Amino acid sequence: MSSPINHHHHHHRPNHSRRPINGQISSPPCPHLADFRARNGSKPFRVLQGCLRVKPPGGRASIRRDPSEVPRCASCGDATRPRLYACMACAAVSCHAPPGPSHAAAHAEAMSPGHEIAVDVDRAELFCCVCRDQVYDRDFDAAVVLAQTAASTLPTSTSSSGSSRAVVAPENLRKRRRVDYRPWSPDTRERALVGSGSSPLASVSTSDLPWGLRGLNNLGNTCFMNSVLQALLHTPPLRNYFLSDRHNRYFCQKKNGVSGNLSKRNADGAFDGGHGGKNGSFCLACDIDAMFSAVFSGERTPYSPAKFLYSWWQHAANLASYEQQDAHEFFISMLDGIHEKVDKDQRRLQSQDNCFPMQVCSFVSCVSTGSGDCCIAHRVFSGILRSDVMCMACGFTSTTYDPCLDISLDLEQNQRGSAKATSAKSHHSCNGEAECMNSSQNSGTPTLMGCLDRFTRPERLGSDQKLFCQQCQVSQESLKQMSIRKLPLVSCFHIKRFEHSSIRKMSRKIDRYLHFPFSLDMAPYLSSSILRRRFGNRIFPFDGDELDASNEFSSEFELFAVVTHAGKLDAGHYVTYLRLSNQWYKCDDAWITQVNENIVRAAQGYMMFYVQKMLYYRASDKMGAS
Amino acid sequence: MRHSVNRPPTPDAAEDQENVPTLQEIINIKLIESGEKERLMELLRERLTECGWKDEMKTLCRAFIKKKGRNNVTVDELVHVITPKGRASVPDSVKGELLQRIRTFLNSAAL
Repeated sequence: MSSPINHHHHHHRPNHSRRPINGQISSPPCPHLADFRARNGSKPFRVLQGCLRVKPPGGRASIRRDPSEVPRCASCGDATRPRLYACMACAAVSCHAPPGPSHAAAHAEAMSPGHEIAVDVDRAELFCCVCRDQVYDRDFDAAVVLAQTAASTLPTSTSSSGSSRAVVAPENLRKRRRVDYRPWSPDTRERALVGSGSSPLASVSTSDLPWGLRGLNNLGNTCFMNSVLQALLHTPPLRNYFLSDRHNRYFCQKKNGVSGNLSKRNADGAFDGGHGGKNGSFCLACDIDAMFSAVFSGERTPYSPAKFLYSWWQHAANLASYEQQDAHEFFISMLDGIHEKVDKDQRRLQSQDNCFPMQVCSFVSCVSTGSGDCCIAHRVFSGILRSDVMCMACGFTSTTYDPCLDISLDLEQNQRGSAKATSAKSHHSCNGEAECMNSSQNSGTPTLMGCLDRFTRPERLGSDQKLFCQQCQVSQESLKQMSIRKLPLVSCFHIKRFEHSSIRKMSRKIDRYLHFPFSLDMAPYLSSSILRRRFGNRIFPFDGDELDASNEFSSEFELFAVVTHAGKLDAGHYVTYLRLSNQWYKCDDAWITQVNENIVRAAQGYMMFYVQKMLYYRASDKMGAS
Repeated sequence: MRHSVNRPPTPDAAEDQENVPTLQEIINIKLIESGEKERLMELLRERLTECGWKDEMKTLCRAFIKKKGRNNVTVDELVHVITPKGRASVPDSVKGELLQRIRTFLNSAAL
């Protein structure tokens, strides 16, 4: 449920040295602020904390000694000035209205030294009256953000989720070199190679259906598998990987035949032994490669993925039966299967080549799991979630990064949505369908965006879930917020329709309709946006290296597959809707029919597959048209 | 009138209190007391964001900072340079809506 949050802290650092703030190199701090801090001991802003007011609309912070106080300039008595500053030393309020006379500057000069720093009473921001410039202080900002966050969240029990696995260090987001897309056509040499090395497919003149549209036979309650396989067969980056022969099953088997001898000596050779096939090892990726070949062969009669099913049974022995399974469980288990195999191969290679000790190699592969470079499954589906846990007493924040293959979202509608509604509004200015989304969210129809809002909302952990604060050295109430550090190429959203209540010892299925958009902008849920929204232009209480990450990847996604579930918890049927060349197809085991998009919109989505828009456009091009 | 003693200038209480507050001041205080001012400011922020005014100002500020060099700009300078342009480019519809809201408030507050 909750992820292991207490590892991997960013260390708290004092304010004084020159160092990057929020990912940017700051100019040297104002000497007057440094003076002020030196003059006022370790807690220069303690007095101010009692005067911080956060008001409901927008949750902006202001400075008032008394909630109903109307601050006015002590020199001219004006209360309507847009900029009023309270002196940090004596609390005198002065106006500052350049180019006209500045009473704040006059105050600082008259009372010098010690009265240079003042605070904007309506914005709770620090100002140096001598430099006539905004100044920033880590401790001050931390106090303001803490007050704001405390005011904006209601105490709730944790219901956040997210597949949390191993905790890894944040990978350094390298600048990726953008390569422009150019359609490929073979030159004469390549044409000759292609001609000699392959035989042309029988041209499918019977229909102009997209390539790869082929039914999958139900092998006995295997619609959970067929539905996910249909989605994966048409996942653009995965399809391109296999169709471009990146995992060649003949080559893989040959290679494994050699290393099969080797694995007999290994302790994990037991894994390979179960197969009984001629090579003594199974490889899920090989079976997928075979399936891609079959499905994209141009043949339209339904295909039986029996070999694949058998291999998967080998991999997930506990699920090997003719019973109904959960499609999401299968999805995760299958990606694990691909990963494990490739991972093992790599380790084997590495240990052969470099004589690396096993431990080092598994560490390497663990790190690469996070960055998603280890295997095709992770390269396509793996993203990184960020979780910030802030101590409600001191504001200290600890951050963890969890790799994830999908995002599991709660469907349960939260009725106490009003506090969130205002902040949610601003999230969506970029999402086209935002307005109707929000209104429908408020009127009770859950939306995918509403679920994502809830997923990334700061959440106050109850007093029964106190977490250890590194700075206070005791367990404190804390505030948790999830965000997406790195988006995968393909985002899979899993809607938790199957609810297991440990108290009532029973499970039930939630049949509620969920609205999902065909185009989705993930920008509001990225760590960069979440942090920026929460902290504004204040200094983060931790290293904010997130802000550049948002430019790195495209945040716009297009829906290309929906796995739906109809029926009850214990007996139901999975059907997949596929979007190919902007036309929707319903894949119901062996039967494939063209459907209207309204049918898709009305379907009860269980898993939604979105691909980065950049890649989707390639996907909608007719394949093999050249 | 510079005070040489190191204490805040004492506001002349008698002078301040005896002055009858202007209508503008009364309205301002009513707006603050009722919380309407907060709501108006929030509405204004929202409208200015929606119509792109905020982004426009941001671009102007960025351009100015780029021209002057990141470390040679103060907030005061920015305010000084941007304010005239900002005031001039607030859409009339936004001004109209705010004015309407203030009118309604004044009517309901029956000043």
